Amino acid sequence: MFKNSLPIIVAGLMLTTSTVALAVCDKSEIRLVNSIREIAQPYHGLVNGGGKQLAAWAGIKSNNYILQLNHGDSAKQLSLMRSLLAINPKCTVFNVEPDTDLVVQSMVDTANETGAWIVTHWGHGGTSHPFDEVNGQWIAHVGVNSFDAGVMVSKVLLDAIGGKGGIVALQGKLDVDPAQKRFAGLQKVLKEYPGVTLLDDQTANWDRSKAFPIVETWLAKYGDKIKGIWAANDDMAFGALEALRAAGLAGKIPVVGVDGTPEAVAAVQKGEMVATASSDGFYQGSIGLAMGMCVLTGQVALPKYWRKEDREFYLRLVLITKDNAAKYLSEPDASDYVKNDWQCDKLFNRNTGPAY
Amino acid sequence: MTARGHQLPPTRRPVLPTGGREAGSPGILRKKLRFWGLLVALIFLCIGFSLAAPGFATILNMQTIANRSAVPLVLAVGMTFILIHGSIDLSMEGIMGVSSLTFAMTILNSRTDLDFGLFAIVLATLTGAGFGAINGLVVTRLRVPSFMVTLGVWSFSWGVAMLLSGGRPPLIRDQMWRSFGLGKTVGIPNLVVVALVCLAVGYVLQAYTRFGRYSFVIGGGEDLARLSGVPVDKYKVLVFVFSGFLAGLASVMEAARIGVGHSSIGLDQMFATITAVVIGGTPLSGGQGGVIQSAIGVLTLAVLANGMIFIGVSPYLQKAVQGAIVIIAVVGATWHLQERLRVVK
Repeated sequence: MFKNSLPIIVAGLMLTTSTVALAVCDKSEIRLVNSIREIAQPYHGLVNGGGKQLAAWAGIKSNNYILQLNHGDSAKQLSLMRSLLAINPKCTVFNVEPDTDLVVQSMVDTANETGAWIVTHWGHGGTSHPFDEVNGQWIAHVGVNSFDAGVMVSKVLLDAIGGKGGIVALQGKLDVDPAQKRFAGLQKVLKEYPGVTLLDDQTANWDRSKAFPIVETWLAKYGDKIKGIWAANDDMAFGALEALRAAGLAGKIPVVGVDGTPEAVAAVQKGEMVATASSDGFYQGSIGLAMGMCVLTGQVALPKYWRKEDREFYLRLVLITKDNAAKYLSEPDASDYVKNDWQCDKLFNRNTGPAY
Repeated sequence: MTARGHQLPPTRRPVLPTGGREAGSPGILRKKLRFWGLLVALIFLCIGFSLAAPGFATILNMQTIANRSAVPLVLAVGMTFILIHGSIDLSMEGIMGVSSLTFAMTILNSRTDLDFGLFAIVLATLTGAGFGAINGLVVTRLRVPSFMVTLGVWSFSWGVAMLLSGGRPPLIRDQMWRSFGLGKTVGIPNLVVVALVCLAVGYVLQAYTRFGRYSFVIGGGEDLARLSGVPVDKYKVLVFVFSGFLAGLASVMEAARIGVGHSSIGLDQMFATITAVVIGGTPLSGGQGGVIQSAIGVLTLAVLANGMIFIGVSPYLQKAVQGAIVIIAVVGATWHLQERLRVVK
């Protein structure tokens, strides 16, 4: 493993000469931690699966892969981290799905104090960044670009209706960042398709039960003017789909959502939805640990010598349509990730640009 | 069960808007006015929306409004009795979560190998009734206010629901129930038929049985009811069981419609239900009201939500508009109380 690492070390040494220090831990000492909210959602199952598979591939003992669940409690997420760092912090890597944006800074501070390593996901909401001088232990932040998610599924929807006619849009909670960005993605795509009109948009608070009566009302108001339905998440897309089913229109009017839940992937394959977009939990659960492995085994330079745009970036989202749905129906095959993501020279394969 | 067996204290005789026997007294007249007042307001609302948006007054949209009202109506029937008792039930969202999962996991589904068919509905509604019984028993035996008890049971039952769901909401695969939940019978959505049956049962209970009469008596003055020999505790437990049962039924209806059992299937339903019941004219203070008024309240909220989409009120404003109208309706409904206070002073 880590076959391709030598050139990187050499390149790193050449570039930075004597200032480069490599953090080296023995593989038997390295602990890989996934710190996430819960394990109940399918998404979290994938996150955990990704971390486990990476640890196995990297030759880490199974009891040195640790899953920490905070059950939606930020204070607990932090205290779980601190208690683990009582021993051997310098060879411990945290891959974090923050319970709230606010907990990120405290966890990063803990890492900086103890010498543990940390990679964060989704959003960190703060003014502090991994590339700041003080945050040497914060390897990277991997953001999810909600705007791109909105753009991707919107294009599929508008292509599916042939670029003309009316659509309606179900928004998430109006005051939440991903909801606004996903909708902004739709609005951008609408400008590129002058033949398509947005008949109406309403909020269904991410919720399936709330989406149902709204879509029923639209069907009564607009009738066959509605050629497609856009939803800011898969759950609302299903509320729309059931309302269409009640009207005998399921599968006839294309529906898109975002999130890539297993149920949505199945619906895409069946043809009742035309697309959903996924951040790929398997990737998110493994990439931070892969970065940490590369740093701790000395195969890449310390993060502070990395390019700024590799320290905080948006990951490439996966668009799931009928063409590739089958691949995402079951737990993904680790060999794809070994090939494309986990190698030390491929850690940034899904970097689509800076997230700051 | 009839009301003939027990003689009620004459001053506490329940007053029903459609009773009409004592129409001579001014109190009755006022109540009748209030009832018809809301109905007239609802009709004006409909006329207003029809003029503003031509597509509003179509058969298809009437079906849509009826369908939107079905689940809230079932909940409102239970809540009406609870409020008439002078109690409150804040547990229905949690109960709906548990019941919907019980239903979805015991009918043909994506998670378990069980398939009890019709019996799944019985299990789900009994689960709801069971949680209702916990509410009632704690309220009566341990003498804790229903506000606190039902809040606790809400949290507890929601926790159980999360445990059951385990993040993998069971999808309902029983096609018969899915098509029942989404289908129509002679133009009326099936779930609306179920809700109307519940309303009829609620009305019969309210007007023609001891259960209904005692609800008014207990809500009007619990001490007085006890002194007159009414088995208050028994009827209190029963009313919570009834409300829990209906919450269970409502969750089955919603699950049949959206095709999944979910811990938060009742999200935001509780306050919407209380709002509908109160603007219908059943005050939180107890002793007054009725299920027919609650039905009008439910319908008013449904027409409002539907109509606002029709006339194109911005989604950012809809909540605010709805809140304003609710306040106006409640002020209208309680105006007579102010009047009475003025007279006394």
